[in-house]
Amino acid sequence: MDFQTFRQFVADETAALHIEAYELYYELEERASVSAFRHEIKEFSDASEGGVCLRCLVDGRMGYASTQLLSEESARALVRRASHNAAVLETSQPEFLVSGGQSYQSVAANDAPLPAADALRKTALAGQDALYAQPGVVDGSETEVFAGHTRIAIYNSLGLDLQYENTAAGAFLSAVVSDGMEDGEKANDYKSCLGELDKLDLDGSARKAADGARASLGAGVAPTGTVPVVFSPKAMSQLLGTYAKVFSAENAQKGLSLLKDKEGTVIASPAVTLVDDPFYEKSAMPMPFDAEGSPTRRKNVIENGTLNTLLYNLRTAAAAGKATTGNASKESYDAQVEIQPFTMYLASGGLTPEQLLEKAGNGVLIDFLGGLHAGANTISGDFSLQSAGFLIENGKKGAPVRSFTVAGNFFSLLRGITAVADDPQPPTFPSPTAFVSPSVLVEGLSIAGK
Amino acid sequence: MISKEVCERVLQKAASTGADYAEIFAENTLNHTVNLVGGKVDSVHDAQIAGAAVRVFLGLRSVMATTVDTTEAGLLRCAQRAAEALAEGKAEVSITLRERLPGDIHPILIAPTSVSNADKAALLKEACAAASGYDKAIVQVTGALLDVDHRTLVATSEGLWTQDRQIRTRMMVNAVAEVNGETQTGGCRPGARRGMELFETVNPREVGLHAARQAVTMAGAGYCPAGVMPVAIGNGFGGVIFHEACGHSLEATGVAYGNSQFCGKLGQKIAHEKVTAIDDGTIPNDWGSINIDDEGTPAQRNVLIENGVLKSYMIDKFNGRRMGMAPTGNARRQSFSYVPTSRMTNTFIAPGSDKNEDIISSIEYGLYAKEMGGGSVNPVTGEFNFAVNEGYLIRNGKVCEPVRGASLVGKGSEVIQKIDMVGSDLACGQGMCGSSSGSIPTNVGQPLIRVSSITVGGR
Repeated sequence: MDFQTFRQFVADETAALHIEAYELYYELEERASVSAFRHEIKEFSDASEGGVCLRCLVDGRMGYASTQLLSEESARALVRRASHNAAVLETSQPEFLVSGGQSYQSVAANDAPLPAADALRKTALAGQDALYAQPGVVDGSETEVFAGHTRIAIYNSLGLDLQYENTAAGAFLSAVVSDGMEDGEKANDYKSCLGELDKLDLDGSARKAADGARASLGAGVAPTGTVPVVFSPKAMSQLLGTYAKVFSAENAQKGLSLLKDKEGTVIASPAVTLVDDPFYEKSAMPMPFDAEGSPTRRKNVIENGTLNTLLYNLRTAAAAGKATTGNASKESYDAQVEIQPFTMYLASGGLTPEQLLEKAGNGVLIDFLGGLHAGANTISGDFSLQSAGFLIENGKKGAPVRSFTVAGNFFSLLRGITAVADDPQPPTFPSPTAFVSPSVLVEGLSIAGK
Repeated sequence: MISKEVCERVLQKAASTGADYAEIFAENTLNHTVNLVGGKVDSVHDAQIAGAAVRVFLGLRSVMATTVDTTEAGLLRCAQRAAEALAEGKAEVSITLRERLPGDIHPILIAPTSVSNADKAALLKEACAAASGYDKAIVQVTGALLDVDHRTLVATSEGLWTQDRQIRTRMMVNAVAEVNGETQTGGCRPGARRGMELFETVNPREVGLHAARQAVTMAGAGYCPAGVMPVAIGNGFGGVIFHEACGHSLEATGVAYGNSQFCGKLGQKIAHEKVTAIDDGTIPNDWGSINIDDEGTPAQRNVLIENGVLKSYMIDKFNGRRMGMAPTGNARRQSFSYVPTSRMTNTFIAPGSDKNEDIISSIEYGLYAKEMGGGSVNPVTGEFNFAVNEGYLIRNGKVCEPVRGASLVGKGSEVIQKIDMVGSDLACGQGMCGSSSGSIPTNVGQPLIRVSSITVGGR
């Protein structure tokens, strides 16, 4: 059964149950991926899946239910389940749906069909050739080539009827290198690239992955102490992604973000301007509307250190007496409407990465952070994280170091950023939400090593 | 879910271009969660996952296609896609399926789908109210009661047609405490492969109090000092050290491709002789338990390390081909849309003979990591990390003041040689483990252990 037919059965059932307003959120994803190992295709995966989520307003409360089964029976059951779930809710904030007739910025979404399986296979094998052409690369180095076509439709009883389609493809190259000794040391790194398959820079990505892995061979442990720390674009974007929820008005209103009541105040150093942009030029998934169907827009979340705005959806904006920022988000079609940025990026500063290291003097350059899901507390802001990178010695990148930790607090870190470089890396995964940062210098973070 | 006859025709189509193995995995799952914020029901998540995956092998090549259209026509189209992507040959295959149902070693008494939202909310409110009332320092409490009713079917070209039903229930409470302007959190998340009878052994009030006590303790704590020191790691979720430092590196997912520090080490001593570690999917009603894995192989008890010697890896069918080894009942996937691979079930360090008081008193200066958080590992290098949710300094063999913000990092192959004292109070904790085949429920466990030396991240 197609979505149009399904939606008619839902309309019939909501009318029968006298449901005041409802919304259907439909997502269909077609994905294909190929992985290669030792110059041979290892796995091919071809997925077609998606589902429908119903939100319905019953006595002012928003009930949810979702299904992957599109049939008359499941349509009717879906309405009953969502209505039943609404009955137990005790939230006091009013709920809203978006009316039809809004205007949306046009986006450069790519709606090309998925590449053929043969093209995926050839690219995966070319990725293997590119990896094995690099010195020191050994077995275990894998290539994965992926492509996905996403279709999202939002339809509601207030006249909203939106559709979005986007295709993205790319490759993930994982290089494992060895020091050449029997039972010797191995190290790994990866790079991913996005774009049309025949235009992917496989050689460049393989070189960067292998260079990154080789550079960490023979790494020592950083000395324990409090030193200036430079976060690479990769590490800083990991940190931004982990702490993005502190900018959610929902978390603030629920007492789960320390940025509650901080709009209009200075929360970061003047070097920090943090932007949320649904139309970011290098995004693989620019979005004209959010998960509620509100038009999206670019905004400075932090401007020269001042928190301009939190991110809002309809419900939290109404509770704060503001307009939505168009940041309603769903982690997947079946999820609750929450709040997320689109492409959130730290604006570049005036220094080159080399100048940033010079400014740091002696310290640590962190290029990798591990265990963010456990070692970073988004409520208190405290973090203590596994790290890898390089020593900074006399203003230059020095010896590789790993198996150490960096500890601090995200809110203090924002205030401690003394300089920002000009080397942001584009998003490497096709998703409406992405995090981008140049290298940043932070004064005085705790390093635990030897 | 899907009849044997339909499965036979779909498998025949899947194998029609020359596959030497074909498999259907189908599921119909109900995921349900009641969420509480500040004592009120904030949201209900109610999702039905339904679909199928057809997988075919030819030698060391695997193809999987998935669909949400589980009619015979939809499944045949899915099988056709898999067959065409695998090879271009032609093969006439006759497949006759025989039903083999596993014995249910994890009986369920009260299916959560039979319990109302209101009754679930009442249990959660009891837990959250206990947390809120624990201390005036508690400023927010959130809670969730989640249940999963996961029906699966596996049919293979080897003639297997089998079904299983996995029901799991879990309560999670998180408390936020503020002491002198310092905000910290505490949590408690018990769960089991049980229905609502879970609450005959888990007292919701105790769950709330546990979360609140931890939040208040940590909000009043100073920062953990950084450095290399001996660490005593508590039982229960402390077992995450083995899960990260060693468990992932024993999965065929990495071992089959040379991406593990433990490749080629079967029969060799890789850990301290006091370490015996087991992965056991057969423990009745435990969080990570299964009757059959997601390739239809019955759950097993696998001794991974015995007295320090590596005895077994955890192996799925596809990666087992490359390794020349039989599957061990560890193939798992979050849902039909993930390619299954070897994963842990209930993994724990077996009890030893050291006394807890001897372990603590043996440490002149170090850390007692009473409760652990999650972690992660790079299986290629073995470098791992995990967070300490509740820690205390040890001075002169005595547990002293609480410390916050600690994490532990190291290299798996080195750390398991440094587990030099193992207590006897084995307990397990529940977690969700993420890897290439998605997020799955796993138990981690151990008695109190001592790691003679490890890097403690703090400040």
